Amino acid sequence: MSAHRALHPGAWIAWATGTAACAFVTTDPVYLLVLWAVSWFVYAACRVPEPTARSFRIFLVAGVVTLLVRTALVFLGTVTVSNTVAAALEGLRLATILVIFGTFNAVTDPFGVVRLAPRRFHEPALAAALALSIAPRTVTSVQRVREAQRLRGIRVSPLRSLPALAVPVLENGMEDALTLAESMDARGHGRGRRTRYRPQGWTPAAVVTAAAPALAAAAFFWAAFGDWAELHPPTSPLGWPDADGWLVAAALLPALPGLLPRGER
Amino acid sequence: MSGQALCYEGVSFTYPDAGVPALCDVDVQIPEGAFALVVGATGAGKSTLLRAANGLVPHFTGGSFAGRVIAGGRDTLVHPPRRLADVVAFVPQDPAASFVLDRVEDELAYGMENLGVDPAHMRRRVEEMLDLLDIAMLRDRSVRRISGGERQRVAIAAALATGARILVLDEPTSQLDPQGAEHVMAALQRLVHDHGVTVLLAEHRLERVAGWVDLALGLDRGAVRAGEPADVIRSLDSGPPVARLGRLLGWDPVPLTVRDARARIGSANGRHGSPSQTTVTPGLPTVAVGGMEARYGDGAPVLRDVDLTIGEGEIVVVMGRNGAGKSTLLRMIAGVHEPSAGTVTVRGRPPRPGIDVALCPQEPESVLFTDRVDHEVAATLKARGRPLTGTAHLLERIGIEALAERHPRDLSAGQRMLVATAAIAATDAPVLLLDEPTRGLDPASKDRLTRFLRERAADGSVALIATHDVELAAGVATRVVMLAGGEVVADGHPADVLGDSQVFAPQMTRVLGPGWLTPEQVAEAFA
Repeated sequence: MSAHRALHPGAWIAWATGTAACAFVTTDPVYLLVLWAVSWFVYAACRVPEPTARSFRIFLVAGVVTLLVRTALVFLGTVTVSNTVAAALEGLRLATILVIFGTFNAVTDPFGVVRLAPRRFHEPALAAALALSIAPRTVTSVQRVREAQRLRGIRVSPLRSLPALAVPVLENGMEDALTLAESMDARGHGRGRRTRYRPQGWTPAAVVTAAAPALAAAAFFWAAFGDWAELHPPTSPLGWPDADGWLVAAALLPALPGLLPRGER
Repeated sequence: MSGQALCYEGVSFTYPDAGVPALCDVDVQIPEGAFALVVGATGAGKSTLLRAANGLVPHFTGGSFAGRVIAGGRDTLVHPPRRLADVVAFVPQDPAASFVLDRVEDELAYGMENLGVDPAHMRRRVEEMLDLLDIAMLRDRSVRRISGGERQRVAIAAALATGARILVLDEPTSQLDPQGAEHVMAALQRLVHDHGVTVLLAEHRLERVAGWVDLALGLDRGAVRAGEPADVIRSLDSGPPVARLGRLLGWDPVPLTVRDARARIGSANGRHGSPSQTTVTPGLPTVAVGGMEARYGDGAPVLRDVDLTIGEGEIVVVMGRNGAGKSTLLRMIAGVHEPSAGTVTVRGRPPRPGIDVALCPQEPESVLFTDRVDHEVAATLKARGRPLTGTAHLLERIGIEALAERHPRDLSAGQRMLVATAAIAATDAPVLLLDEPTRGLDPASKDRLTRFLRERAADGSVALIATHDVELAAGVATRVVMLAGGEVVADGHPADVLGDSQVFAPQMTRVLGPGWLTPEQVAEAFA
């Protein structure tokens, strides 16, 4: 399998931003579930081979946890059906944004995005890429250490022998980060004058990938500010969501990159 | 212009919080176009010496540094590593951890992008590097999905692409199979001979490098002695098996390559008898693998139709190319991975990890978690409910009693490996699995490990070792299993399996023919 390089990474940044923007302005479960499904579809169609793509699952789990935690928070105060539903929808919105983010992580290499950053944003972009790569690497590291300790006769559980898991995971993480930092420095990172190797062009496929979610986001913002469709279902009193056909169609737009011919996406 | 590529001038260095210096008063010049080897015991300071070449020591480590290092005319104290990127290229011990980008081609260009190389020139240079290291077919692959040998060559290409004339490599063949190691060494030699690049590398497996280099730096507790490879290796009392043979038979000079040894032995040929073979009669079957198939997810099987019965007292060495399925076989026998077909049993029932079988992983860092070496062993004993009194004795048997109070993270890669091995062996599981246990180990530590495994085998324990180290296999194995493409292609006495192979033959076989495995065996026949 070849490493993914067909699409300009900027197209994926635009895709993630546009799709997440749609989710950001609504709590209607119909739109959110459509966006969730679209995100999953794009992930399935466009993901790069393992192991980067594994991070999708992490974001998916994080999304579900967020949803549950946000809902559970209600139980700290007065519990009514309305505010439980409101909290759950709030949680669903956050979870959808996380899943969109997970797809972004799975379809493009975060370090590829760093190369794209303008020189003055290079350092923050790098920090962001490093931060993004921490979650999947930690998960792999946890699995590896847990297995290694088990084969040494030490069973690790949250209640027992936690240092046997946590210490190697944290120290390996630190050592890896340091090795990477050393390697980057030794290879001249941060000398200032940077050129770019084989900059990627904006192919029609990249334009579609970037433009489709932007169009969707425009429709959602227009609805939000123009008030021609309801984006937040009534929770007090409780009512059924009243999804607008046009907006459902708009929410489907970000699925387009998944339909592009294989060679181009 | 011919001059010095690298000068160490009165360099002394002590790591922060360390009692003893890692380098003491090092004065060495490495001329342009040299192919230089750093040799020395595990933990002698080899990595420190290499990392001082481009200023990673002391810029990234801190500590107290005296003297100076001049690389390509620049003082490393004044110029941090990034300011030396165009003169010194550095390939660390584990290249996988040093990759920044995902795609091979992009990784090659990364250093040049940082140096601001003109795009057209960069494009040409990437192509040259792809050809020079013979990796053009990898250009679109992800660096995370290529084999160890390929990674090593990509790392070298990426390092050299910057146009640096000094290449520094820390154990470049330690993760490679014999053929992969040969490729890397041949590529390095071409760089030295045809392109005038200066190469400085550290390596323990001298049998893989001794014949290629023209300068050696012998390191002993931080002090360096430079000279002809033969002289330095002789003075350090180490060396490849042919050197050991030379020493046993009192040859002068001590041979460094199979060719030297052959020339020397030519006159004596015929005086020796045929090799004596020690065959171990295995005791009761301990490990039984029947018709086993292994796969990850729904991919193609990694192992197919493996049948293996291992009896008490056997030391089985599993060999094969990078990616042949050696580690997978170990994990199956360890019971952490279910076979997709067939059976794996230990003493007649499914293996219980950590009880019937214990496995020391390739990365010892995955198990080390205490702040002292002896505590590490004690942690295993405690988890297994065994008395802690055995700690000191076990450390002594593996030869690391002197490190008992050190912090495992402060040790060298080889020393960490020994600590992890001790911590795993402390389970006292009847089946001990070791994955590539000699990475970073000097010959003396390797001998001790061999003795330790033999003692355990004499008590009826089983050991199964996956390794690329043919000399370890020749020295310790009672049986060798060769894997290729996920299948067992050979299984038998090491003399038969290794003697039969072009690639996996140990040095004694290459000198005297099939059946000869260790220098000791040859010396005995000649005495």
